[in-house]
Amino acid sequence: MKKNWIVSLLTVFIVSIMLSACSNGEDKNTITFWTPLTGDDGAYMDQIVKSYNETNPEFKVKHVVTADMYTKISTVLNSGKGIPDLAIIHADRVPGYVKQGALEPIETAISGQPEIKEENYLPQAWSTGNIGGTQYTVPLDIHANTMYYNKDLLKKYSVESFLDDNVVTIDEMLSLQGKLDEGQYVVNDALLGWVILAQVQDLGGDIQENGKPAVDTPVMKQAFENVKKIADAGLMTPFGEDGYLMFQSGNVLFSTDGTWTSTAHAAVEGLNFGVTNIYSPTPDKFTNRASSHLFAMLGNEKRTNEKEAGIGAFLEYVRENSMEWAKAGQIVASKQVIENPEFQNYMQSFFTANQQEIDSLYIYTYEYYPYVAEAVDTYCADIVRGNVDLDETLKTMQKFVEDKIAESSKTTTN
Amino acid sequence: MSKKISISKYIAYLFLFVVCFIWVIPVLFGISTSFRSQTEVVSTGFRLLPVDWTLENYLTVLGNTSTAPILRWMVNSIYIAVFHTFLVIVVISMTGYGYSRMKFKGRDTLFFTLLGISFFPGVVNIIPSYKIIDLFGWVNTSWAMIIPGLAGMGNIFLVRQFLKGIPNELDESARVDGAGDFRIYYSIILPLIKPVLIVCALFSFVGSWNDFLWPVIVYTDVEKMPVTAGLLLLQDIYGNYRMIGQLVGSALLAIIPTLLLFVFAQKYFIQSINLNSGIKG
Amino acid sequence: MKKRSFAPVFFVGPHLILFLIFILIPTVYGIYASFTHWNLMNNPEWIGLSNYKTILFDETSTFYNQFFNGLKNTLIFVVISVPLLIVIPLLVAVALEHKQIKLKGTIQAIIYIPGLISISAAALIWLLIFNKQLGITGNVFHSQVAWAANQPYAWIIIFVISVWGGVGGNMIIYRASIAGVSKDLYESAEMDGAGSVKRFFSITLPSIRFPLIYTFVMTTAASFNVFGQPLMMTDGGPRQTTHVLMMYIRQLAFGHGESIAGMASAMAVLLGLVILVVSALQYYVMSRNSN
Repeated sequence: MKKNWIVSLLTVFIVSIMLSACSNGEDKNTITFWTPLTGDDGAYMDQIVKSYNETNPEFKVKHVVTADMYTKISTVLNSGKGIPDLAIIHADRVPGYVKQGALEPIETAISGQPEIKEENYLPQAWSTGNIGGTQYTVPLDIHANTMYYNKDLLKKYSVESFLDDNVVTIDEMLSLQGKLDEGQYVVNDALLGWVILAQVQDLGGDIQENGKPAVDTPVMKQAFENVKKIADAGLMTPFGEDGYLMFQSGNVLFSTDGTWTSTAHAAVEGLNFGVTNIYSPTPDKFTNRASSHLFAMLGNEKRTNEKEAGIGAFLEYVRENSMEWAKAGQIVASKQVIENPEFQNYMQSFFTANQQEIDSLYIYTYEYYPYVAEAVDTYCADIVRGNVDLDETLKTMQKFVEDKIAESSKTTTN
Repeated sequence: MSKKISISKYIAYLFLFVVCFIWVIPVLFGISTSFRSQTEVVSTGFRLLPVDWTLENYLTVLGNTSTAPILRWMVNSIYIAVFHTFLVIVVISMTGYGYSRMKFKGRDTLFFTLLGISFFPGVVNIIPSYKIIDLFGWVNTSWAMIIPGLAGMGNIFLVRQFLKGIPNELDESARVDGAGDFRIYYSIILPLIKPVLIVCALFSFVGSWNDFLWPVIVYTDVEKMPVTAGLLLLQDIYGNYRMIGQLVGSALLAIIPTLLLFVFAQKYFIQSINLNSGIKG
Repeated sequence: MKKRSFAPVFFVGPHLILFLIFILIPTVYGIYASFTHWNLMNNPEWIGLSNYKTILFDETSTFYNQFFNGLKNTLIFVVISVPLLIVIPLLVAVALEHKQIKLKGTIQAIIYIPGLISISAAALIWLLIFNKQLGITGNVFHSQVAWAANQPYAWIIIFVISVWGGVGGNMIIYRASIAGVSKDLYESAEMDGAGSVKRFFSITLPSIRFPLIYTFVMTTAASFNVFGQPLMMTDGGPRQTTHVLMMYIRQLAFGHGESIAGMASAMAVLLGLVILVVSALQYYVMSRNSN
């Protein structure tokens, strides 16, 4: 009896070895397409891919969603096998990947597609893929830091006027000091690091100077101090509490999260919300720190010219037919889509309503932006909450970025 | 004396009650969260039970059969975990026997060297590990999940420690009677270490079930993934949990098989060994 | 004689081959990487001891500060969590041995279940429980503290989730071990009038000393690798006081910017050495005392 059990287990075992050995051929007429689009985003992209495949193209697309895509990309690039034909990467990865020789120019793929050109996309989404005059990526979207507001609370405190000029200033927020009920707050601290990086732009600064990182600067200091004023006035959701959930609970006037969370907010019944720009220190300027999902080809010698042309055809299809992607809450990069009246049904069309809004979507393209962002994310909460000394911490952050750059630039490319 | 026993009984009961109470509350809270709508999850105030019970989280999770086929993932996980566990038991019982009962030169040195090496945290090791798996042609197959874990030292260490607590008399007398190593291993040692093997089986099963860093790297096909790696696909890339009830609900669905296995296995690992004199201290 | 020399190969050999391929080679590669500059994609470039010098001696370096802050926080976690992860399951196992206790299976299952729940879901549940507006601490106990952002509360919630999820494994090892202790020993001790405390120290503990050594060594080694709980519960805050070493290592290797995998490997090797020394000491001291 016991023996039989073991024998049958072994049989299944051997059979499955044989099965797994058989099913291993990748179809050479398939475009393997990796994305980091987990959650509902993956389902929307699946839908786009599915409808493309229904047009019976010469090269069908196989969409693979990966939870830890960048580690996986490092792994396959290192081993040289299993490299996908096409991938979606984030804007801040582009300069590093190009420097490391990980990307192939997208130009060969789109050479047969006259409509895939700068004029047909949001300009900053297109240009973020242009390094040294070579185009490496084609954009899918821009996803930005945005500020949701609770309509009922704005009404309750009679401050709907904040929204009049489309920019809520820090002074306007501070004017609510002492006027809120207990347990209610003006703004939360979601994506605080992104908010700080927007303030830097509003103040006319940058995170680099001649290619060197500029973190310990008067502008950065000013940016932190401005945001800290809101926290010091007791208007920001308390440190360590989930400001995102507090907004959904209806206790916070403004939430500084992302375009993509509109779908989650919409799932909360009775949450009457709208979207506007991230708060600014001045009524003259506003910035929404943004990133972009970009189609890119990782270095892979096995990819044929015909397949690259197939990739071009897919990208052209996406350019014309990515309204589906708007459902994910993202600002689609293709002008054909955002100029379609149907796009007005989506909340994020607020950011493409006029040139000023489009210009406010700011994508950092500095080569070492990821290190700067990491430094800001690591330290911003403690700075804004007054847990640490600002000057000293800015020095630490500057050193943090410089040390990382020093270590990374020692590595030579393949 | 009977009074003494009853006092210690009450102390034991009180202690177990307190521990169970603390341990079960989050689980119940998790279960009840999975039956709440997002609206209710974020509404202020604490309630252990939902006001409006909703099945929607589970319906959404189970209804998605294309991008997140959770039932399919669970079948994959069961397949992987069963084979992995079966092989683990074979390997660790033999190896544990070898390192504790056999006499060969440098046995303990070899054992502790291997154990020591296995203590080094494997962070960047995924790159060479992936290359090795690739060499065998196991990328995107369950072999990448079933085989490498067999090399682990933890369970072998446990079996060895357990065997050290069992006197040598039984196998020595069998050896004197002319029994070979395989006979001793199969008919004397295996029955003796059955409880610890069941514990190890449980650990291997759960370990293989809960691993998520490695499968994310080795799998590309959604329909081939094990469940814990698959569930990561439900989460948002920015770490923002959009739908709390769905996330908790899917995690609770995923533990049902391991929980059933535990309920089944716990009868066996607490069986006392009544083979002759059993284990003496 | 010849026959005997083949047998160890048969019993130990297969695992040895597996170990060589799946653990030794990757580990050696990881150690090699610690002497290099590497971004995971290129070929590692040999730089000798430079990474170690930076981490251990360059006091102005970010990596020096990360390593020592991370190591300090990891040690805090180990020193507090390991005793809890040994004592609580041991007490539970002993209490469950009591003859008159009912519902043993249910109690065992309740304590074991948390270890099965994925860390992300577990963290979500506990963060809701510790949430001031939505959870138990705020609404039932009227705690005004934001737990994740203030010490010592930030550590407390990390210990709570770690102990909650971590005691089940050791509990069943102890249960299986104690079940193997001969009942005769207890009965004769009872005849001699030994109380339950005495029986625990004079019979139970000595009988399970070898599995006990195992749980000590392995729980400690696992605790040094702690990563998920602080990442999910506090994200290292406040002021990086719960930022453990494994979080720094993973950020260096798999963070957003270009990978600094050589430095990460060097930190991992140093952590490995610490684990090695601590567990060897534990094993040595406990084995000597138990003989």
